[in-house]
Amino acid sequence: MKVYFHLNVAGFSNCYLVVNEETKEAIVVDPGEITEELISQIEENFLTLSGILVTHNHGSHVDGIKTLRKIYSPEIFAADWEVAKNQTTVINGDGKIKVAHLNVHYMAIPGHTSDSVVYKIENLLFTGDVLFAGSLGSTNSSYSKFILQSNINQKIYSQQDGLVLMPGHGPPITLEAAKLYCSTFK
Amino acid sequence: MFTQNKCIVLHCRNNALSTFDEMGNLTEKESYCLDHIPNPGKLKEDIYKYIESHDTIVGLNASGLVFENLDLSNKKFFGCNFSHCTFTNVHSQNIRIKMCIFDFSLFNNCNLIQSNIIFTSFSGSTFTHTLFTESNLIQNGFNGIKAFQSCFDGSDLYNSRFIQAMLVDTSFQDCNIKKVLFYDAKRQNVSFKYANTREAVFSQKGSALALGEDPDEDLNNSTTDGVVL
Repeated sequence: MKVYFHLNVAGFSNCYLVVNEETKEAIVVDPGEITEELISQIEENFLTLSGILVTHNHGSHVDGIKTLRKIYSPEIFAADWEVAKNQTTVINGDGKIKVAHLNVHYMAIPGHTSDSVVYKIENLLFTGDVLFAGSLGSTNSSYSKFILQSNINQKIYSQQDGLVLMPGHGPPITLEAAKLYCSTFK
Repeated sequence: MFTQNKCIVLHCRNNALSTFDEMGNLTEKESYCLDHIPNPGKLKEDIYKYIESHDTIVGLNASGLVFENLDLSNKKFFGCNFSHCTFTNVHSQNIRIKMCIFDFSLFNNCNLIQSNIIFTSFSGSTFTHTLFTESNLIQNGFNGIKAFQSCFDGSDLYNSRFIQAMLVDTSFQDCNIKKVLFYDAKRQNVSFKYANTREAVFSQKGSALALGEDPDEDLNNSTTDGVVL
């Protein structure tokens, strides 16, 4: 498996292209903006775009879906039906799916938004706006913050330390370091 | 990328090191960590040789190794794992690093000038006499680092994070620190001369002036913040 990172300059969010080299299939996580570079990477490596994983329905994470659907026919996974209306495969709670012949574990972690989901592929955890390197995702009430914190404790901090967090904004971090240096988690 | 297989010894939680085939190419075979590998000398030698003989290194896992007296000029590292490594007297110019992990590493007397380091994590690392002068350090994680007598002068640190960092005698002169987060960072004799400090975020609460607090109070832990002094 290979992962390529793309910065969406419009919303300063991170988009990831996950490639299964054996089957030549790819997954895009949070396509906030579609760039020529992203399309070239898919085309020049003769990849089939099998799926799109959406961490939550905010513009900087989903605005590129329309463009991708014009070119490819990926399955779109999100917790909010509104993301691509009838084309969305709605996922609830926690579970496992197979996309691009890769095992993808998903976990619902509401707080930043009610539809926030994190995806784990091998040793990478795509956290969207749930958890960043050194801080939590923003919330609009103290209750949301409490829900977010308890879900992170139960579902993310309980994972093995070798996990690398790939957030929706900002740099990556290992889980080991994320537990030690989170400014809003005291 | 980021192949972080666990050591195959039962209950060992360390990351396994990269292995090589007979042709000297990287393989994704299950392997041992540095503590359990039967012949650590040979694998270390293989990893050093691989770095020396390749200009572009992708997906290497060298966690826990010691690198001394190396010249990494013009090398490119993508998706590599160097967590818990020790770098001493490593010199480089124009090194390119993207999406690598250097968490909990030690950098001692290293010279990484004019580097291009993007989307990389150095969380929990310690830098002593390390120079990043005139580098592009965009969107990197420096959370919890300890930097002593180190230098980031003339660098672009856009959207990087220094949360809970300890910065001593370290210089950020003439840096672009737009959107750089310094929450809970301890600073002692840190210079931000000619840096765009107004664009950086030093406190989660917001600016002391906007909150009607004494602005000097927040700067008490630093002797040369901003262009004061």
